[in-house]
Amino acid sequence: MGLTGLQIFKLLPKTNCAECDFPTCMAFAMALAQGKTSLDMCPYVSDEAKEQLESAAAPPIKKVTLGTGDFTRSIGDETEIFRHDKRFFNETILAIEVKDTDDVEAKCEKFNNLKFERIGMEFVIDAVAVVNDSGDADKFKSAVETAVNKTERCLVLMTEDADAMAKALEVAADRKPLIYAATNDNYEKMVELAKEKGCPLAVKGNGLMDTAELVDKVVAAGHKDLVIDPGSREMSQTLADLTQIRRAALRRVRTFGYPSMAVTTKEDPMEENAEATVYMSNYAQLIVMKLDEKAALLPLVSWRLNLYTDPQKPIAVESGLYEVGEVNPDSPVYVTTNFSLTYFIVEGEVEASKIPAYIISVDTDGISVLTAWADNKFSGDIIAKYIKDLGLEEKVNHKKIVIPGGVAVISGKLQDESGWEVMVGPREASGIPKFARENFGK
Amino acid sequence: MLVIGERINGMFKDIANAIKTGDPTAVQEWAKKQEANGAAWLDINCGPASDDPVSHMKWLVEVTQEVAKAPLALDSTNYDAIEAGLEICKQPALINSVPAEWPKMERVFEMAAKYEAGVVGLAMNEQGIPKDADSRVALAMELCAAADSYGVPMEDLYIDPLVLPCNVGQDHGPEALETIRQVKTLADPPPRTTVGLSNISQGTKKRELINRTFAVMGIAMGLDTAVADADDDELMEAIACARIIMNLDIYCDSFVEVYKDRW
Repeated sequence: MGLTGLQIFKLLPKTNCAECDFPTCMAFAMALAQGKTSLDMCPYVSDEAKEQLESAAAPPIKKVTLGTGDFTRSIGDETEIFRHDKRFFNETILAIEVKDTDDVEAKCEKFNNLKFERIGMEFVIDAVAVVNDSGDADKFKSAVETAVNKTERCLVLMTEDADAMAKALEVAADRKPLIYAATNDNYEKMVELAKEKGCPLAVKGNGLMDTAELVDKVVAAGHKDLVIDPGSREMSQTLADLTQIRRAALRRVRTFGYPSMAVTTKEDPMEENAEATVYMSNYAQLIVMKLDEKAALLPLVSWRLNLYTDPQKPIAVESGLYEVGEVNPDSPVYVTTNFSLTYFIVEGEVEASKIPAYIISVDTDGISVLTAWADNKFSGDIIAKYIKDLGLEEKVNHKKIVIPGGVAVISGKLQDESGWEVMVGPREASGIPKFARENFGK
Repeated sequence: MLVIGERINGMFKDIANAIKTGDPTAVQEWAKKQEANGAAWLDINCGPASDDPVSHMKWLVEVTQEVAKAPLALDSTNYDAIEAGLEICKQPALINSVPAEWPKMERVFEMAAKYEAGVVGLAMNEQGIPKDADSRVALAMELCAAADSYGVPMEDLYIDPLVLPCNVGQDHGPEALETIRQVKTLADPPPRTTVGLSNISQGTKKRELINRTFAVMGIAMGLDTAVADADDDELMEAIACARIIMNLDIYCDSFVEVYKDRW
């Protein structure tokens, strides 16, 4: 994405000298915007303007990578304000705090065991954030060393004491931890450390204006592998700051062209979970939190999965046989597709019918009943094969299957192929409770 | 695309008569009618016959505002008349229009900044209307730069590529459409676009058909507004439909009614 004519024009010297072979600076700007000429043609353009024009070719938010091996995580490189416009690309890194005054070894082991299963995938917590709570540099270093040895997760090193950071990096630099944080007081030393060790650096300001100035100072000092913490610890302000940073970055304000992060403050795990959910939904690419209980983390991990799915792709449920309620060999059998919207509507209505039942979800690549039927993915022979492969004959003592009313035409073929009696259900799932009462009720 | 209702114009006999007699009935009826049919602005023009455009503009603004909520587009080449209108407008208005000429741009953009008004900028200058799209876009760029230098936001600038009647200026049609497309790349956020829609069909047969066909083509190219006949139901339906197809409005079964009722 290049600059617009007006943006280029503002950077030009406005001499209208025509040495670029265009009659005016404005004409030159428009030709540049259309790629018809090159900036070298202008002898009077300033270095600053040159740099701005060149940086316009870079992506709006820089990609920043933490960690090594299986726990390499990248953030940034986002292009959207709203996920429905395209998608969000790089999942938020969830980092759990461990203080250097805690039993670091035990905590790391606990984190290693935090694993979640959802729709056939396994999720883990990405990062451990070691906090220099003691204020003692050696204690911090030994805590970081324990973390390095006990977990392969990404590391966030949290201290504003540059000497403590230097010591910790002696043992952790190879793991590419996030150095947290450069502030107005320590940024010169922190930038030196980050440059020397090749680690990403968090920049923690005090409000947006101050943060912007600090980022510019850090960049001027020569480090561009940054994560921005606007510094607010109040939820509504953090939400506002994160939003402004994303918007400005996408408007190509270079100062804010880095991934952003937040730190939770709520004490109650339920509230902290809600707080983290807000930040995650609103552009925080890394969240440091105290939450370490599975019950509080699972909803957060699930929300992250949902938020970062591609909205253009239909969401599918796993195909196969589902049981609704306490099924028995007399329970009816319904068939539908694996498009999640379709499946969950059917499941909800079957549940509402209060008659326990089986539902076969046919793999249609996640498309709806009528679309799949038109595409030959939901036909009599395909469903017959499911009946056989799922071993339905052993599970139920009847041979009846209910198909969606919209595809009544497939009933003949299905009956022939499966030898089962095909019942044509209602066109809409909302008719299932009535249908079930009339056909399967006592 | 949103419609700037064209009907309150001294070119029409009933409006000229209203101005002459001081009877606001015709003006107010047209204000209500256009607004009810989906006009987002009401164009106010004293007409070429007006001998006192300043006071006539003021009177038209006053009587229109008595019955209509829609913002106004003050349509005149007399900038004193426009300023008199701006002073009494209850909400930010549109200044219709300014060509890419100094010192007209200076006067108009200063006014626009002062009254927070929008400006219709014509892609023409002292030398007239350019034929090809490139020259029109170059003039649009001059308007963007001028607006920017006076602190008028790009969203308040409405570039008019100028359409000519398709029976005599037929070769201008594709150039005007191409101009609309290119204008959208000049700045970020881009300036808005507008046309005097009914010009395309001056002196032709089947005017309504030509108008609504151009409107739909313009919307596909990024046309945001047009001074047009809000009383033409088929035009309004075609616009509502084009907005759905361009994914500007969320589809619903009653999309035509929703388009007309939103104001």
